[in-house]
Amino acid sequence: MSARLAIIGVGQTPYKRAHRDKSSSDLLWEAAREALDDAGLDITDVDVVIQGVAPDALSGENAVEKSAITGVGIPHMRVNTGGVTGSSAAFAGASYVASGRARAALVVAVERMGQSVTSQAAFNTIFDPILEKDFPLTTITMAALRASMSMRLYGYTPYHWAKIAQRNYRNALKNPLAHLHKEYTIEEIMNSPLLAWPIHKFEACPMSEGACAVVIANEDLAAARNPAWIQGIASTTDSYAMGDRFRREGATLVDLVTLRMSAERAYLDAGVTDPLHEIDVIELYSPFSSAEAMTYPALGLCEASEGPAFVDRQGEDPEMPFFNPSGGPQAGNPVSATALVRIAETALQVRGVAGERQRPDVRRALATGQGGATQFSTVCVLGTQRP
Amino acid sequence: MTSDVQDIEPIEIPGNWQFRYNYFAGASASRFFAELRENRRVMGTRCPKCERILVPARSFCDACFVRTTDWVPVADEGVLETFTIITAAFPGLPEPPVVLAYVTLDGADTALVNVVTGVDCSDIDAAAARLNRQPRVKLAFKDDIQGRITDFTFVVDE
Repeated sequence: MSARLAIIGVGQTPYKRAHRDKSSSDLLWEAAREALDDAGLDITDVDVVIQGVAPDALSGENAVEKSAITGVGIPHMRVNTGGVTGSSAAFAGASYVASGRARAALVVAVERMGQSVTSQAAFNTIFDPILEKDFPLTTITMAALRASMSMRLYGYTPYHWAKIAQRNYRNALKNPLAHLHKEYTIEEIMNSPLLAWPIHKFEACPMSEGACAVVIANEDLAAARNPAWIQGIASTTDSYAMGDRFRREGATLVDLVTLRMSAERAYLDAGVTDPLHEIDVIELYSPFSSAEAMTYPALGLCEASEGPAFVDRQGEDPEMPFFNPSGGPQAGNPVSATALVRIAETALQVRGVAGERQRPDVRRALATGQGGATQFSTVCVLGTQRP
Repeated sequence: MTSDVQDIEPIEIPGNWQFRYNYFAGASASRFFAELRENRRVMGTRCPKCERILVPARSFCDACFVRTTDWVPVADEGVLETFTIITAAFPGLPEPPVVLAYVTLDGADTALVNVVTGVDCSDIDAAAARLNRQPRVKLAFKDDIQGRITDFTFVVDE
């Protein structure tokens, strides 16, 4: 991506189990209005609206995005790539601006799954109805199938995943928008109820609702504001079939090959050659702590075989990037919006306006998105320096 | 929120999505299921470019983006690639414990998902340790075969 563009506005509702006092359109509108206000723009100043909503069955509303933000007289589209929906929408918005077709794009994503009484059964409907849906494949079991493989291949133990989860919950204490504000000990996490071996309840994400919006603008609009420059953004895809990804060398189900490809492309554009030392903050789309561990080698932070040791060093090695200052998806997972929240949070960090969760001297930050049966991945690198 | 609606009790309206569908399996999956039903065998299709035997059989290879050619049967046994043991109950899903696994049958290059039956789950950690050693598994066909992916389960072959 050669054009210069930046995130100049961020809006978020709080994330919580259910926003009973808000309609779906209220949620969308509140996030969008806040992002536009932050950018110093109005809806008439944007040239495209891109909305992210994952499967309709989660909310029980078809096209939940339809009732808000018409942006009369401009293009509007919806993106659905499962868990990566929010960052796919951002990628689409960034592409629109980079192409010159828009000076500014409003990207907004909403999750309304608090309305669901049978969410895991709704998640089961995302799988193939001919070959897969008869089995209890869900987001949890999909993660568990990878987690057990990761234990076998790389020697992760429940302790590693509990340690990651503990840090995420602790970070969320400083994020007033997070769904969960509760600290857990490693023992409490390891002893929480088993959902699907090897995944325990407190290694998983909650069900959350909420909306997130960002305004992506071209250089002319961005230069006079407080921008988080998009130094690199990439989106890649893989085969849907998880069964096809066991016997591919270097590209198995736990290698997250699309996250690696997206990272390599985004690093190239951003001029990042040593991500471990050149990135200050990383917001990971990892609804499970075991899934977070799989991202480290894909992002070039360590070798896959060194993953458990990399977790052991976290919190002790000051050279490492700071992971999930917002608490990440384990402290709030509004599915359709979660990947956009990662980008929004890194934008706040780079712009120095993240409140109590602000990290010192953030010059460059990275946000990931992963979705579907992990066949979709995005990586977005934001920085203070104009590319 | 504006002040004039601040003291209103939010209303919840119960809802239920209950639609009926007939899912069209397509020609390749239909033949795959017919082979299960008539011959109790699992079929794959060969990609002429990468030469992988793709199981379940399908009409094209999405990696090479070419049409598959010949149909080939694969073995009724293979290697357990990965698994989970579902231990918590979720509304609308089968009662736990359920063992779910991907298995690459001998002669295939891709894995099939199905449930593993007959695993002693009285000690979950012990069952997991056993499955984590990637045991050999065999297909076990049900008595009532309908030409569906649920016509068989995996059983550990030890």
